[in-house]
Amino acid sequence: MRLKLETRQICKEFLGGNSKPLSVLSNISMQIYASEFVSIVGASGCGKTTFLRILDGLITPSAGEVLIDGQKVNGPGPNRGFVFQKDSLWPWRTTMGNILFGLQIQRRPRAEARAIAQQLIELVGLRGFESHYPHQLSGGMRQRVNLARALAIDPEVLLMDEPFASLDAQTREVMQLELIRVWTDRRKTVVFVTHQIDEAVFLSDRVVVLAARPGRIKEIIPIDLPRPRRFAIKRTPEFVAHVDKIWTLLEEEVFGSSGAQRRS
Amino acid sequence: MALVLIAWELIGRYVLTSKLMFAPLSAVLAEFAKLWGTGELERHMLVSFTALGVGFAIAAVIGIAIGSLIATSETIGDYVDPVINALYSTPLVAFSPILILVFGIGPASTMAIVFLLVVFPILINTTAGIRSTDASLIEAALSFSASKFEIFRRVLLPSALPFIVAGFRLGIGRGLVAVFIGELTGAREGLGYLISVSGQTFNVPAMFVGVLVLAAAGILCVALLEYVEAKIAPWRHFELKA
Repeated sequence: MRLKLETRQICKEFLGGNSKPLSVLSNISMQIYASEFVSIVGASGCGKTTFLRILDGLITPSAGEVLIDGQKVNGPGPNRGFVFQKDSLWPWRTTMGNILFGLQIQRRPRAEARAIAQQLIELVGLRGFESHYPHQLSGGMRQRVNLARALAIDPEVLLMDEPFASLDAQTREVMQLELIRVWTDRRKTVVFVTHQIDEAVFLSDRVVVLAARPGRIKEIIPIDLPRPRRFAIKRTPEFVAHVDKIWTLLEEEVFGSSGAQRRS
Repeated sequence: MALVLIAWELIGRYVLTSKLMFAPLSAVLAEFAKLWGTGELERHMLVSFTALGVGFAIAAVIGIAIGSLIATSETIGDYVDPVINALYSTPLVAFSPILILVFGIGPASTMAIVFLLVVFPILINTTAGIRSTDASLIEAALSFSASKFEIFRRVLLPSALPFIVAGFRLGIGRGLVAVFIGELTGAREGLGYLISVSGQTFNVPAMFVGVLVLAAAGILCVALLEYVEAKIAPWRHFELKA
């Protein structure tokens, strides 16, 4: 297995007005391998979204560094694609227009860009919706566009920030299968942030459990379930055991952090 | 609408019968046909609408440019914002005598007054539109390594476009006032001149012709811009309905 993405002692502090700096992430070091699917779970407020933004270079860490193929990350780059949680599609651009954006920024020839976008539209199952605007699409379709948009620049690493959080349960399950299909097809390295434990276990090769306040790695759990995975796997004792284990780890955190809130 | 027109005709015929104060619709229409026939009305219209168009176009370009600068640079915004707000709330028409002195009698001074009145609503709306751009839309562009200029061109400007068109709509009304004010004292032709001269020579029907043409132009432009607004930002109408 080839090392793809590495973080070294990432720390992040936010300066909150006149109070003392708030430590959001503390000493996060991890290695992610090429074509690996890694999920990050944690109680809300554990900094998982901040961590993902640091990986993309949208935020700079207070200390530590992110390396991709051994190269230090100094900002967003074409080797990473970011799938946002919601509503970040440009409303004045059609499905096609949204997917074309990254290619236009890279000044790719028009015909080539359109061919790539069309291929992705087929891949995420949106044929026939090329000239629809985001407000004409359902939540699930919008997240398909969001995924295709990130894939358009053919990034090696796909960073996904709770992409299915705003979807209803059935749509979310369909999208999980779709994501697995796309990931298998394109062999991207995926870092997937979620608060849904079963989603993390179902999708991932490894699940990183973060502890909160400040966010730090509590445990990294390998998910050795065979692939390809189908929904039936969610009822197997092995799957349930993984979910239980992560849930137990998080439970301490959830009660810990709500206890902290009560004190403050 | 029809009732208003009938009422106008009846009042002109039977209530306000003084020819110095009012004219029935039929007399106004007759005057319209007469002025149109001689080509005089077309000449006034051409002068007025050229002044409006040129002044408006310059105001749009400069308003969008300065509005964008204010919205994208905090330093410029901090210095210029208070000045803009003060000027916007000033009755700028009061400056028209100075502009007539500077630009002389003729279309140039009318254009200058149109510019002065129209530029502020466009500028302020451009600034507001850019500032109200959803941060997540900017972040999405940043994730594709878009440069500052690309973000301006491909995210901020399209996001602000409905605001800018709304600024145009506000500007049209003010622009028509400016044409009238400018030509009232600073011109030898144009609809404002026609209105003022007709008023002074007690030619009430001709005065109403001028007023009606200006009003029709305003209604037409506003309707056109409302149509454009709906066309360029269908998602906004969707959001309002939802």
